[in-house]
Amino acid sequence: MATEVAGAHGHDEPDHLAPYLSPEAGRGIKGWLLTLDHKRIGLMYLVSTLLAFFMGGVFALLVRLELFAPGRTIMSAEYYNRAFTLHGAIMVFLFIIPAVPGALGNFVLPIMLGTKDVAFPRLNLLSFYVYLFGATFALYSIISGSVDTGWTFYTPYSTTSNTSVVSMVLGAFILGFSSILTGLNFIVTIHKLRAPGLHWKRLPLFVWGTYATSIIQVLATPVLAITLLLLAAERTFGLGIFDPALGGDPILFQHFFWFYSHPAVYIMIVPGMAVASELFATFSRRAIFGYFAIAMSSLGLALVGFLVWGHHMYTSGQSEFATTLFAALTMLVAIPSGVKVFNWTATLYKGSIVLTTPMLYALSFLILFTIGGLTGLFVGALSVDIHLHDTYFVVAHFHYVMMGGTVMAFVGGILYWWPKMTGKLYDESLAKKGWFFVFVGFNTTFLIQFIMGSKGMPRRYYDYLPQFETYHKISTVGSWLLLVGFLLTAWALIKSIRSGEKSPPNPWGSAGFEWQGTESPPVMQNFRVTPTITRGPYDYHLCSDEELFDGFPEDAEK
Amino acid sequence: MASAHADSEHAEHAGHGDHPPYLAHHFDTPEQQFDSAKLGMWVFIVTEILMFGGLFVAYLIYKGQEPAIFIEAHNRLDWKMGSVNTIVLLFSSLTAALAVRSSQLGKKNETTMWLTITILCALAFLGIKYVEYSHKFHDGLLPGRFFTAHLPEHAHNGHVLPQRASMFFALYFMMTGLHGLHVVIGMSILGWVLVRNHRGQFSPEYFTPVEIGALYWHLVDLVWIYLFPLVYLVG
Amino acid sequence: MSDHAHAHDDGKVHAHVSSFFFLCAIFTALIGLTVITVAASRFDFGSANTIIAVLIATVKATLVATFFMHLKYDKGFHALIFIMSFVFLGVMLGLSSEDVDSRGRVDTSSTVRILERRGEQAPGGFVPDPRGVQAREHPTSGASQPAHH
Ligand code: HEM
Ligand SMILES: [Cu+2]
Repeated sequence: MATEVAGAHGHDEPDHLAPYLSPEAGRGIKGWLLTLDHKRIGLMYLVSTLLAFFMGGVFALLVRLELFAPGRTIMSAEYYNRAFTLHGAIMVFLFIIPAVPGALGNFVLPIMLGTKDVAFPRLNLLSFYVYLFGATFALYSIISGSVDTGWTFYTPYSTTSNTSVVSMVLGAFILGFSSILTGLNFIVTIHKLRAPGLHWKRLPLFVWGTYATSIIQVLATPVLAITLLLLAAERTFGLGIFDPALGGDPILFQHFFWFYSHPAVYIMIVPGMAVASELFATFSRRAIFGYFAIAMSSLGLALVGFLVWGHHMYTSGQSEFATTLFAALTMLVAIPSGVKVFNWTATLYKGSIVLTTPMLYALSFLILFTIGGLTGLFVGALSVDIHLHDTYFVVAHFHYVMMGGTVMAFVGGILYWWPKMTGKLYDESLAKKGWFFVFVGFNTTFLIQFIMGSKGMPRRYYDYLPQFETYHKISTVGSWLLLVGFLLTAWALIKSIRSGEKSPPNPWGSAGFEWQGTESPPVMQNFRVTPTITRGPYDYHLCSDEELFDGFPEDAEK
Repeated sequence: MASAHADSEHAEHAGHGDHPPYLAHHFDTPEQQFDSAKLGMWVFIVTEILMFGGLFVAYLIYKGQEPAIFIEAHNRLDWKMGSVNTIVLLFSSLTAALAVRSSQLGKKNETTMWLTITILCALAFLGIKYVEYSHKFHDGLLPGRFFTAHLPEHAHNGHVLPQRASMFFALYFMMTGLHGLHVVIGMSILGWVLVRNHRGQFSPEYFTPVEIGALYWHLVDLVWIYLFPLVYLVG
Repeated sequence: MSDHAHAHDDGKVHAHVSSFFFLCAIFTALIGLTVITVAASRFDFGSANTIIAVLIATVKATLVATFFMHLKYDKGFHALIFIMSFVFLGVMLGLSSEDVDSRGRVDTSSTVRILERRGEQAPGGFVPDPRGVQAREHPTSGASQPAHH
């Protein structure tokens, strides 16, 4: 365990009162690669996870393009299997799990807590390098024969497939440790490093969400680690643990895998919910409705999420009794999600809604996540899922939660905290155009997949019957619209870096702690003076006009 | 957020204005730093328990499926060596706890002694494990496709094991192997603590690394406390 | 900062120092329990064997955690997360072995019969329920009437 010992530093010691992006805060490439600053580490995570998103996106476009027409379109069936596997594995392990905690969490969490850094800055940097190390394994796997098992690595196929499974599995194994380290660090930071006056009932909901996520990361990821280790050993030494011929049980692999991976869907969505809660409060200009309920429902998801994994295995050969039990337990997880959705809606009600780009993403999140969550109940219902399992219905369900939920919230969060992270404003009208294409493109791609799936189109298939052609064509066109949307958004951000206007400390007029008392971009130690918290993060009624709209520290100095 | 007071004021409320060399800049007080390190270690222990736990779950499930074969296979383990190793590890846990105690009291040389004994115990444990492993290798008691104890040339008192017994040894090697890896890691951590102790970096005010290293070592012991009876003894 | 609600507010580290003899006594107890485990394993209590071993191991683990790892003198939260890790492990063991133990116990009135107890029989090795076969032969009549008594 890294305990920080501040040794005697030379003159390389960063200036704690310089803006964190300035050379005084860390010079040159070394100032980035060896930085212990949570904000710089957050930005490095942002860049890497966005690269992963891009890579995963390219594979997605290839998959959709192949499905544009029946039969062979651009690639052989072998390569198709690899393409969808890589899409899934990259998106899950390299993008969506580390994205919000690694990038936004690292950047925002300590500032929201009013502290100078996370509890273990070296561990934080280590987790980033562990992430890169794991990513290297994944990349190696891609160039050395790739993987065609699906991101779920189900045995017995994964133990017999002659593709490069071991390095991908080890990659995911290593990435898991990065995730564990981040979670551990956040748990300790939230417990031990809150500013004076910031008691638990004043924690921003982003912090609560990150806390719940960290708990899942810490509890579930080790089981994935051991599962993947067993799988790698099974392939290398022929252990037999999952091999029926040696007395093993392939379904046990699925139990182990989903013991991690169902909670992991909450590692993916809870941070998205956390971001969305912040966006709703800021852009409705009012106290969030049901603060306590939203905070506790995050913890509820974290705990109940461990009881339902068997709903992925209804048709696996799991016993009927287990199947029934898991189906009943699955209904439980809908409760906390429902609590959240109702409270967000109530927050919007009679709020002064400002339709900025981040808010548009937040509203998209609300709508799309609700669809995703409700269809989760459909597939959670045992009898219905026997029909829907392994069809495009499931594909649509999880894209509505993961992309419609988490990715929308992630992009919304980037656009929301962008002025804080970079100190620059961006072209809102361009970003809104981007949002429009993303929203329309997303629904074009995935709404139709619900229909296709309920009519029996299986997932992970290379070819299809003629009656599915129109659906597939529409879906593929949707993926192009999505591409346009993301390119426009990326362009808005690049333009902002190159020539964006300087941002004031609190451009959105938010009462959130991260916007108060910090500059844009913040100084190395975040606050010039350690803040004392005297109100909650959404107490708009307690804020003076200056706090929300002017009276920035900069002005005060002049 | 409404009020803020100057850093110097805050520092004063926190300590006595002095900032000891071991205190990282983002902590206010040594206590806060110590508590953070400990909480971090406990969370880490949780992850380790769940990781080993996965193996234990697999072991218990497969044992429940083929009890007869598992009993036959586990008779080929050497429970005497296992017992000796248990005692060695328990003793090393005691010395680790004593190392923490003496560093809390500022007795540097005593700390060095206890840490050294702990590391020597770890080495002894690994030595015994090595002997055990080489017997298993010799008898073909290996996991999966390397398992040859079902062949007549490996007959033991005229008996051969069924081929299905390979599952037991797959789990045995995964569990003891992963545990052995943790012994090695724990040993290295304690070695590093030993070096720092030798350099005189610890005091009754700052002994966090000794405490954290010892916690890790106790974890290694905890895993073995379950592993030994379940794998070596229970029939 | 936050967790400052206790007596010493001087920011220094206040940790309990255990006495030498007390730690040695705990060690002796651990050795005693080890002897008991080994002795108990010489007798056959049938299916209780595993439970007995786990119980003794848990007593030992509790001793180590409480005294060697100072949980007794530590923050209650540390004890809580430590116990929680076993609770979640219990969930994992409980729900997965519940599946394994009840596999192959099929409702004969239903047309489906899936894997036998062990996964190995899966590919073609199981004995199909005659009614299941019938249902498959007449998909239109069988599929919509899962259970006919
Ligand atoms: C409202 C709560 C939810 C329920 C009741 C639910 C239920 C289900 C069920 C029953 C399945 C299995 C369907 C099948 O394979 O036949 C499934 C699949 C899936 N769900 Fe959800 N889900 C919920 C929320 C989420 C969330 C929040 C995410 C991610 C952020 C998610 C991601 C996934 C993924 C990735 C799969 C497919 C896994 C695969 O087979 O590759 N779900 N969901
Ligand atoms: Cu699930």
